[in-house]
Amino acid sequence: MAGVLSLLRRFYLIAYNWIVFAGWFQVLFLALKTLKESGHEQVYSNIEKPLLLAQSAAFLEILHGVVGLVRSPISATLPQISSRLYVVWGILYSFPEVQTHPIVSSLVISWSITEIIRYSFFGTKEAFGSTPYWLLWLRYSTFLVLYPTGISSEIAMIYNALPYMKESEKYSIRMPNKWNFSFDYFYFAFVVFAIYLPGIPHLYGYMLAQRKKTLSKSKKA
Amino acid sequence: MKVLVTTRSGRELIDGGLVLDSSATVADLQEAIHKRIKKYYPSRQRLTLPLQPGSKEKPVVLQYKKSLKEYTTGNPNSDTITVVFKDLGPQVSYRTLFFFEYLGPLILYPLFYYLPVYQYFGYKLEKRVIHPVQTIAMYYWCFHYFKRIMETFFIHRFSHATSPLSNVFRNCAYYWSFGCYIAYYVNHPLYTPVNDLQVKIGLGFGLIMQISNLYCHVILRNLRSPSGNGGYQIPRGFLFNIVTCANYTTEIYQWLGFNVATQTVAGYVFLIVAASIMTNWALAKHRRLRRLFDGKEGRPKYPRRWVILPPFL
Repeated sequence: MAGVLSLLRRFYLIAYNWIVFAGWFQVLFLALKTLKESGHEQVYSNIEKPLLLAQSAAFLEILHGVVGLVRSPISATLPQISSRLYVVWGILYSFPEVQTHPIVSSLVISWSITEIIRYSFFGTKEAFGSTPYWLLWLRYSTFLVLYPTGISSEIAMIYNALPYMKESEKYSIRMPNKWNFSFDYFYFAFVVFAIYLPGIPHLYGYMLAQRKKTLSKSKKA
Repeated sequence: MKVLVTTRSGRELIDGGLVLDSSATVADLQEAIHKRIKKYYPSRQRLTLPLQPGSKEKPVVLQYKKSLKEYTTGNPNSDTITVVFKDLGPQVSYRTLFFFEYLGPLILYPLFYYLPVYQYFGYKLEKRVIHPVQTIAMYYWCFHYFKRIMETFFIHRFSHATSPLSNVFRNCAYYWSFGCYIAYYVNHPLYTPVNDLQVKIGLGFGLIMQISNLYCHVILRNLRSPSGNGGYQIPRGFLFNIVTCANYTTEIYQWLGFNVATQTVAGYVFLIVAASIMTNWALAKHRRLRRLFDGKEGRPKYPRRWVILPPFL
């Protein structure tokens, strides 16, 4: 029985990782194709569907951690994935005014390369039990460039959406109401900044340490 | 007796060690360290026995009341002991910590009521009508924090334990910002009150709970000896006969009363956060009491009780 379950788990994780991989691959492919053929203004409208699907699928990763399917703790995955979901749904999807901005291209290219490597890394590991060194190296090295470009694009996109948040009052609740509650999406963006900014050097340092640990270990082996 | 004091990296903290009386206690040792290095007052020091290199076990922490002789168990005749010193950082007493935690909400809340703060949030104040519930809620809130400060000075008995200074900043950030968050909505110019009956029920119930909470604190005080180190006892009497942590139960219910009367989302958020923090403490205390009073070897058995929120937990 335990054997069947672990086989099922493995099968599910292989399928999950490679399906999401395909989603991000499509994002990268369509983004590059659009950039080459028509221009950055069309990038978002051409990738919207696979981007929303692939990024939302990451929500399942939180569940995987909760039910114990994978070992990564939710304290690590939750902040990363929720900040991505915020940018994808709360900024890009919600404010069409920013969808034509050139930063969208650097954002989705940084994200998709990172995710293509990450999901193929996990997909290979689940399927074969190990990964070739070059893939391991890519998994623990591309962030050196792609994390700074990705995170600065994320912040730039939130910043670009600020005037439209204020103007439209979208997702905002105003007093008076029976429950004496108000919510201002515009100010919420500043709260997001306040959480983001201190987290950046912390996460980068953490990944540098992971890189050192993993790559030195695999060289010895 | 000779005591070698090393840091965790193995360096000698006091060159040549200390020579103490053979009947010296850990407290005497801490005083001696303090005398040599002024900034390390006793509550800042954590003294442990050295571990074998590579050991994953937790080190034995030296209890300040015990005699040093008790820790030379490996070799009772040995006249030399090595202890490992750790600097816990600046410490404050729990009384100081509590005082600053409660002072913030006591001062900040009325500012929202009395001062024209809302004009800085873009509201015209000529239109502000103060509802009776806002006035009563302000007095209720201030009474609550005034009571807590008075209890801190005149009722609570604290053990010798101290708290790191950094906790003062963390806890004040929690109490002060939640205080402002709730005060902002209850005193808002566009505040919508609930009906009179609901206000009366909420605040009446809350007041009864506050008084019960005071009584719970008096019961807890009498469990501890004046010196503050009497160890654990089974709390009895009043609501403690039903719930282990009746002091938290009444605290939670009095916030519930406040929220029923004022009806703000901010207040309910605070209630949920506070209740979950207190539930963690209550579960830990309940477990500790159950373990200490297990009914074996003449020890009393801990009675069956709710932990914090009957009839759920």
